[in-house]
Amino acid sequence: MNITQVIAALCVSFGILWDAQAQESSKSIDEIVRLIESAESGSTIIVPPGVYGGNLRIEKSIVLDGQGGVTIDGLGKGTVVELGVGDITLRGLTIRGSGSTVDQEPAGIRAFAGPVIIEHNRIEDVYFGIDLRPAPGSIIRYNVIQGKELGLGRRGDGVRLWWSDDCIIVDNKVDAVRDMVFWYSENLSIARNHVTNSRYGLHFMYSHGTTLEDNELVANSVGVYLMYSNEIHLIKNSIVNNRGTSGYGIGLKDCDAITIEHNALLANRVGIYVDNSPSSVDSYGLIVENKIAFNEIGMLATPITHDNIVSRNAFVENEEQVTVHGRGQLLLNEFSADGVGNFWSSYSGFDRDGDGIGEFPHAPRSLFRSLLAREPNLRIFLHSPAQQAVELTARAFPDLSPEPIFVDAFPLTRPPELDLFVGTQGGGRFPMVGFSAGLLVISVFGGWVVGRQSRLPMVSDSDLSQKAFL
Amino acid sequence: MSSLPIKASDSSPIIKSGSHLSRASSVIAFARREFRDAISSRWFLLYTVAFTVLAVAVSFMSLAGSGSHGFAGFGRTTAGLLNLIMLVVPLMALIAGAGSIAGERERGTLLYLLAQPISRTELLLGKYIGLAIALCCSMCVGFGLSAGVLAWRVGGVGISAFVMLVVFTCGLALAMLSVGILLSVISRRSGVATGLGLFVWLILVFLSDLGLMAGTILFKLRVQEVFVIGVMNPLQAFKMAVIVNMNASLDVLGPVGMYASQTFGGALPWILALVIGVWTIVPLVIALILFSKRGSV
Repeated sequence: MNITQVIAALCVSFGILWDAQAQESSKSIDEIVRLIESAESGSTIIVPPGVYGGNLRIEKSIVLDGQGGVTIDGLGKGTVVELGVGDITLRGLTIRGSGSTVDQEPAGIRAFAGPVIIEHNRIEDVYFGIDLRPAPGSIIRYNVIQGKELGLGRRGDGVRLWWSDDCIIVDNKVDAVRDMVFWYSENLSIARNHVTNSRYGLHFMYSHGTTLEDNELVANSVGVYLMYSNEIHLIKNSIVNNRGTSGYGIGLKDCDAITIEHNALLANRVGIYVDNSPSSVDSYGLIVENKIAFNEIGMLATPITHDNIVSRNAFVENEEQVTVHGRGQLLLNEFSADGVGNFWSSYSGFDRDGDGIGEFPHAPRSLFRSLLAREPNLRIFLHSPAQQAVELTARAFPDLSPEPIFVDAFPLTRPPELDLFVGTQGGGRFPMVGFSAGLLVISVFGGWVVGRQSRLPMVSDSDLSQKAFL
Repeated sequence: MSSLPIKASDSSPIIKSGSHLSRASSVIAFARREFRDAISSRWFLLYTVAFTVLAVAVSFMSLAGSGSHGFAGFGRTTAGLLNLIMLVVPLMALIAGAGSIAGERERGTLLYLLAQPISRTELLLGKYIGLAIALCCSMCVGFGLSAGVLAWRVGGVGISAFVMLVVFTCGLALAMLSVGILLSVISRRSGVATGLGLFVWLILVFLSDLGLMAGTILFKLRVQEVFVIGVMNPLQAFKMAVIVNMNASLDVLGPVGMYASQTFGGALPWILALVIGVWTIVPLVIALILFSKRGSV
């Protein structure tokens, strides 16, 4: 036996040991299958802790409880857990490693019948997260869903509902997926979900009659996009920093009877985008008591948009407060209701009689804006002194002023007290303080070092020339 | 005092004529002198105070409506600061540069300086460096207090973008200082140099943009053309650089911004930095060549 053979033998035996160790921590999914087979319908199965590899399909109404210590790993193939019948509860599981082939749409959890309860699970490295198709009456709550690291266009949905009415979707935390999307699903309750770094935070397609409350939608391309969905009530959502290339805080596309109230729409590319909503003749849209602040555009609407009531909102420091997508005016929408308009940080009038309403209508005329409508390329000059010069010119020569885009006849002179849910924002204070102090120290200390009176090296050999030089 | 032997390799006639100093130290000496002159100049102090007060005021005002919740205060503050910077910083740097050589020439002190054992190149470089440090220090005061307001009101949101704002502003100041020094070298009188500086400021800040706006409307310029012509202006390059660092994209600047982002992608900030770099180096080199060639003082 020469030395090479010894080394080879050692390697092989070590490899076997190593493999055995790996197998110890990774159990087969068949163990869970056997547990389910031996359980009565309707009973609760507490799964022993461990990592179970493989795909699971459940065809019995049971409660599968991992108590936080169970991981089901699809090993990168297909859907990890499929629910074939209703009345199944999945609780306290970590579900990961679905396939990623687009045509199969593999998911972490896919339910084919309702109602099911999916709660307190962690779902990660999956193509789709939770897919109900259909599973009406289901509850999805307290799950954490993390998508695969794919480009925005290649990801699957974090949560998808397909023809699943009466579902409750609350307290989920979703990150890096495509959408949380609701197809043809009515009468949902969607609250306290937190969606970040995704394409559309909450996306409605032909899904009517739903309330969205206290959701937090941050740093997605679009916060909430409602399409062809009627009677949706958005209340107290926090919609912040959604700035995709065509990103909106809230987008409305052909939706009737929408109510948007008490939302915080902050620092988005566009706060609210209204595209032909309401689309029916006798319908209306209600946008009241929202805070729409620090967006590039507060509210953007297509020229055809009509019959929206926009009142008691605070429009604060949006680069453009309200504007039209293209040319035209928004005169078919009401920017005040019952003699109360909105607060505009850009309003330049005053309140003489002290009733909180400005004495002049707010009818902004921006020459630069109207030039933009003619020639969108001019947008490159935004944020520059030249833009200010154009506006100043228009003020000096009223003949150049364009028609106002909208008129708020009763602008508020003080921001209204709004009941909002703003969510958790803001970074650490310490780095900024340090940075501030650093700059000041650089300027003072740097100034002292450079500027202090010293014996100049070039004249160090002659006091006379030093005096002359100084 | 003892006199050190002159290095044989040193070819500068001035240095050969008796100095034992290295070039670097004479540049540093001039830079220090220029710095002291600058910070004790009333105009410079006035600009510094104006910039600081305005920067702090903009920070306060842009955060006024935000209340207690600290979101995105930085974006608004930057938008406000951008206009301020694009107005004040070029003015400050152009005027400071314009006064440098022409002022000395008019007062007659330039002869005196040139009598020192240094080359003209070193003199000009020293002046440039001294003024550059003075400008950067002056802006650090404004930015430092502005950052303090942000830290106090909203915390550390967007700190990396703020750092880049400071860096690019200093870059803009250096570029404008180069132009100012070039104007100073070609002007015989201080007043002429300052006037030229104001004229260049007017062109860069307003006239070129307004002209390009008119051109865009009249000739229906394509996005590429608008971008290329626009970005030649160091102020536009500066603005785009700040916005691209803040938003990771220029889409807020409409079709032209999108074109730039999509065409150049990750290279865009470097291209913009290059534009500012070219505006810094080219005028300074021309000024150095002209100044060392000109016989007259």
